[in-house]
Formats: sequence, structure tokens, C-alpha cells
Amino acid sequence: MPGLPAHYVVLGAALFALGLVGFLTRRNLIVMFLSTEVMFQGVVVNLVAFGRLHGHLDGQMFALFLLVVAAVEAGLALGLVILLYRRKSSLDSEAWATMSG
Amino acid sequence: MTMDIATLKTCGILILLLPLAGTLIVGALGRPVLRGRSHWPVILGVAGAVLCSFIVFGQALGTSKQAVVDVYDWIATGDAGGWFRINFLIDPLTCIMLVTVTSVSLLVIIYSRDYMRDHGHPERGYERFFAYLGLFVFSMCALVLAGNFLLLYLGWEAVGLCSYLLIGFYYGRPSAAAAAKKAFLVNRIGDFGFGLGILLIYLTFNTLDYQAVFKMVEHGRTASGAALTEGRSAAIALLLFCGAVGKSAQLPLHVWLPDAMEGPSPVSALIHAATMVTAGVYMVARCGVIFTQSATVMAVVAAVGALTALYAALIALTQHDMKRVLAYSTISQLGYMFLGLGVYAAGSAIFHLFTHAFFKALLFLGAGSVMHAMGGVIDMRQFGGLRRILPWTYRTFVIGSLALAGFPLLSGFWSKDEIIHHAMAQSPLLGGMGLLTAVLTAFYTFRMVYRAFHGAERVPQGVHAHESGKWMLVPLCILAVGALGAGYANVTPHAGGFLGFLEPGGALGGFLAPALKPFAAHAEHVGGGGHVLMVLSGLLAIAGIAGAWWFHVKRRDWPARVAEAAPTAYNLSYNKFYMDEIYDVGVVRPLKSGGKLAFGIDDYFIDGLIWLVTIVPRLLGFALRGLQGGSLQGYAATMGAGLLIILLLVLLL
Repeated sequence: MPGLPAHYVVLGAALFALGLVGFLTRRNLIVMFLSTEVMFQGVVVNLVAFGRLHGHLDGQMFALFLLVVAAVEAGLALGLVILLYRRKSSLDSEAWATMSG
Repeated sequence: MTMDIATLKTCGILILLLPLAGTLIVGALGRPVLRGRSHWPVILGVAGAVLCSFIVFGQALGTSKQAVVDVYDWIATGDAGGWFRINFLIDPLTCIMLVTVTSVSLLVIIYSRDYMRDHGHPERGYERFFAYLGLFVFSMCALVLAGNFLLLYLGWEAVGLCSYLLIGFYYGRPSAAAAAKKAFLVNRIGDFGFGLGILLIYLTFNTLDYQAVFKMVEHGRTASGAALTEGRSAAIALLLFCGAVGKSAQLPLHVWLPDAMEGPSPVSALIHAATMVTAGVYMVARCGVIFTQSATVMAVVAAVGALTALYAALIALTQHDMKRVLAYSTISQLGYMFLGLGVYAAGSAIFHLFTHAFFKALLFLGAGSVMHAMGGVIDMRQFGGLRRILPWTYRTFVIGSLALAGFPLLSGFWSKDEIIHHAMAQSPLLGGMGLLTAVLTAFYTFRMVYRAFHGAERVPQGVHAHESGKWMLVPLCILAVGALGAGYANVTPHAGGFLGFLEPGGALGGFLAPALKPFAAHAEHVGGGGHVLMVLSGLLAIAGIAGAWWFHVKRRDWPARVAEAAPTAYNLSYNKFYMDEIYDVGVVRPLKSGGKLAFGIDDYFIDGLIWLVTIVPRLLGFALRGLQGGSLQGYAATMGAGLLIILLLVLLL
């Protein structure tokens, strides 16, 4: 079994971390959404890398499956963002922090 | 002649159901349909009960038998001997009570037709009044007819309920509401003992049926066949007597009766003078077998009676409210009855109950008639000299007063004298108290007559005084005839001339004797001297009346001067020996403080514990509340942190 080059995993982790940081730091709903897509890709890279490590096709299958799901989810999420924007005329996520707990 | 059980059964059921039917009809149709005619169903129902009572009375006349009529198996439990049945015990005592109760009720209800028209709030309450009265007659007859202690208890509590409802009839008046509550609570104390007594009877004899219980007591056996100790029977008797003390307003539970005068006058006449308050006397007479087992118990009964008679008479001397004077007089006369029972003269006690029902109902209705004419005022300081304005009320009232005062040859004279005679034979102290009370009775009764009807004519301002209508006067006149003549029920004409004619202990006593055998078995033979005592008590009554005349007609300033000369005695009497105040300090306030203490414990200790329990989720909620703010980044950061922690755990462990 060939060894797993570390840079695949590092790339995946880096993409995920970048997406997470983006998601946590930006207030714009669309940018936050883009950040989640970046995290997705980090996961997809990992899936492919580990699939290759184990010599399975499962990882690549999941990657393709994820891309489809991500496309569908992008449509849904953008639709939601538009509705939210219509409500408050703002893309700021904090505009929705109205629950006092 | 024997009694026909089928007739007795029909009559007994009708006596109960006719007044009840009247009540139900008035209750259902009174307000929407009958309105001003609401008295008719009750009058007719009670009239039917009177008729049936007389039929039962006729059946019992001339026979010494007692009959038990089974009507219905009420609670079938255990072996058949201990079943609770609705049954009637018909004997001479029952008959006398039935006739007295139903006839006086009928007269009072007829009287109420006019009286309540002006004194009820006519738009609402007229039909309510008659519905209650019908219910009362039903309950009282159930009490009297009962053949077992359970039915007796039912009637006993039901008359208490009617009393409560009728005292509080003008419930809009705070004093009436308070008086009703007081009557109910004070009676509850007595009835608690009464209930315990009945439970003890059931524990001891395993049945509540009169006949079965009395037979076992006579043989001195309990249900298990063991010997019945005197302690056990005395405990039962004393507990039952608690109920009698409450219901018949004897010391120390008499405090409710004077306040009960807040009810309409016909109610005072019927329930709080003539019938309900005599239930205690009836019950003791009925349970004579149990009471006579212990001489101590009988001494207690006699002592309570004599003390109450004297005590209430002393208070009646100084009251200004006519109905209050009559209320204390009732307590005093009930004391006489218990004195009679206690000295084994149950026949005399029931005889006094019988005559008292007539003249006391008459006096209360007379006072009601005065109140009616005076526009609701009953305080004797505010009117006087009414004999020309209210001629018929005056005449009947004087007859009632003479009877109450024990004026020779009127009904009260015969019955009271008999009791004093027997008391004297038992103990000169008790007899002496009886005689002293007799003088006081004559005095306060005629104080009332002279104050209200003699002297200068005075009426309260703005009152158009007028004699009452015939619906009120006819019952007064009939009762006056009763007050004049009821005493002769027990006076048998003898051959020995005038004094022989005066010999008491006649027809009524003979009729009652079979029902009151237990008392006779223990009674000491009452020797001669009856005539001397009779003359003496007659003279004392006349002396009392003369004294009242001297104080309240001849020298009208004397009462005030006496009050000034002996302020302590006057204040004691006027303030009812401070009995209400003593109860307030000794019972009401400690109970209220206890209640406050319990409330405080509940409020601070119990509620504090519960608060402690609730604080845990509340604090948790307070701590975690910030996490649910709705901030997207916040959620994400939490998730990230959680992920990090899990990752660290996985990597490090």
C-alpha cells in the first residue's frame, strides 16, 4: 500500500481551517456561505486522499456525491439568503440575533 | 287496640315527603312561576304532614306499644343485624314531638305569609324563605321519626343546615352572615361529640338501631356479649349530651342562640324557640336507657340545665332587644327541660317542651308583629305604650307572657311546676335554683310587656304603626289558645275537689310513660308537698310580675337607679357575663393566632423549601441562556470549540 503524502491532508486541513475562520469572522451572509463551501472542499480533498490511501473508490464516490449535494444546497442557501435579505434589507448575520435566550 | 303498621308506614313517609315536595316545588317553580304565591305548596305540604301526624297520634293513643316501621334498606353491609335501615320508631314520645313540630310549623308558616311580604326583600327571597321552611319541617320530622342513630344524625345535621340558612337569610347584612357562621361553628363543636358518641355506640353494639342498642344496654351487654361497663355507657351518654348542649344552646355552647335572632322573626319562633332547639331534649329523652345507666351523667345533665336556666334568666333581665330577651328566655326554659331530664322527670321535661313550644312561638311571633309595626325596630328603648296601637298583638302577647311567667292555671305553670317539684325532691339546691329562676322569669317577661306595651305611647320616628293583618293575627290567636290550655293535657281531674283537680302528672305523663320507662325505673318516689310547692311557685310568679310592675310602671326610674347602685352586677348581666368576650380571648384569638402561625410556616418554611428546589433549574437556565442568542457566529464558534475539544481528547488520550 503506498504511503499517504502528507501534503494532501495538510491541504484539506488548511482549506477547512480557512473556511472555518472565514465563517467565524465575516458577517456577510453570502461570504459566510462561501466559507462553508471552502470547508466542504477541504473535506472533499481529505475524502479523496484517504480513498486513495485505502485503495477504495468509496472516497471518490463520496466526493462526487458531495459535489452534487453542495450544488443543490448552494441553490437552496442562496434562495434563503435572498429571502432573509428581503426581510431586513441587510446581509448582516447579526441582524438576526434577536433571541434573548 | 294495636297500631296498624301499614298506616304508620304510609303516614310516616307522607310526613317526610309532603313538606319536602313543597320545598322542591317552590325551589323549582318559585321564582319563575309562583312568586308571591310561593307559600302555598309549603303550607299545603305541611298541612298534610299535620294531618298525618294526628293520624299517627291517634294510632298510638290508648296503646302502650311501640312500633318499628322498616321503610328501606339504606346501607346493606355486614350481617343483616347491623344493616343501616331507614326505619321509624313510633311511640308516644315520637307522636307528641310530631304533633308539636308540625302544628307549630304550620302556624308559623301561615304567619310568615304576611310577615315575609314586607320583611323579605320581596323581589328575591320570598320563595327562598318558604323553601327553607319546608326543608326544615322535613328535616325535623326525620329527626323525630328516626328509628336509628344514623337517621337521627341525618335529621340533626339537616336542621342545623336549615338553621344556618335561615339565620343568614338576610345574607347581605354582615351581622346576619356572622351570626349564621357562629351558629354553625358552635353547633359543629357539639355535633363533633355527638358524632363520636354515635361511632362509640356502633363500636360497642355493632348496630345503630335504637331498639337493638337499647335492648343490649338494658341487659348490660355489648355486641360481643361482654359486660357493658358503666364507664363505657357514661362515655356514650356524655358524648351524646355534647350534641344536645350544642343544639339546645346550653352552657357553655349557648352563645349562638341569642345571635340567631338575626334571622326573620318567624324563624326565631319556629326553629330557635319551639322546635329545633328542643331536639337535644328529645334526644336525651329518647336515649334515656343509656343516660340513666350512670347517676353521674344524670347529675351532669341536671346541673347543666339548672345552671343554664339561672344564668340565662339573669341575662334576660337587662337586655333591651325584645327578641334577645326571648332568646335568653328560651335558653333558660331549655335549661328547665334538661333539669327535668336530669332529675329523672323526663315526662315533665317533655311536657314543658310541649307547652313551651306554644307560648314561646306565640311570644316570638308577637315580637315579630311588634317589629312589623315598628318598621323593623325591636329595641324597647325606642318604643313603648303600644297596647292601643296593637290591641290583638298585646292581648296574645300577655297570654304568652303569663304562660311563660308561670302564672297559675296557664300552661307554663303546670309544666314548670312539675319540673321544680321533681328537682326539689332530688336536691333542694336544684329545686331552689329552679324557683329562683321562676321569679326572674316572671320579672323579665313582664318587664318586657310593660316596657313595650304600657306607659306613654312612643313609636320610632317616621313609622306609621299599624296592627298586623289577619294572616298574622289568626296564628297568634290559635297559639294563645294553646298557651292557655296546653297545660291541661297533663292535668287529670280528680275527685278531691279543687286542689285535687290541680294534681299534675296526668294524661300526658301517662301517655308518655311507656316511652320513658328508663327514667321512671330510676326515679325516686316524689312524695307529697306538691300542692305547697304549687302555691309557692304560683305566688312567686305573681311576685315577679308585681315586681316588674313596680319597677317598670309605677317607678320607672328605679331600674336606672338600681343599675347605678350595683354597676358590677348590672354590667355582668347586660354584657351576658362577658361570655362572648371570654370566648374571644380564650378560643377565637388563640385559634386565630394559631392559624396565623400555621400560615406563616406555610408561607415561609414550606414555600421556602419549594423555592429552593425551583432555584436549581432557574440558575441553570440563567447560566445557559446566553448560548441561545440567535447569533450565527456564536453557534459556529461553539461548534468549533466543541470540535476542537473532541479532537484534542482523541489526540491526547
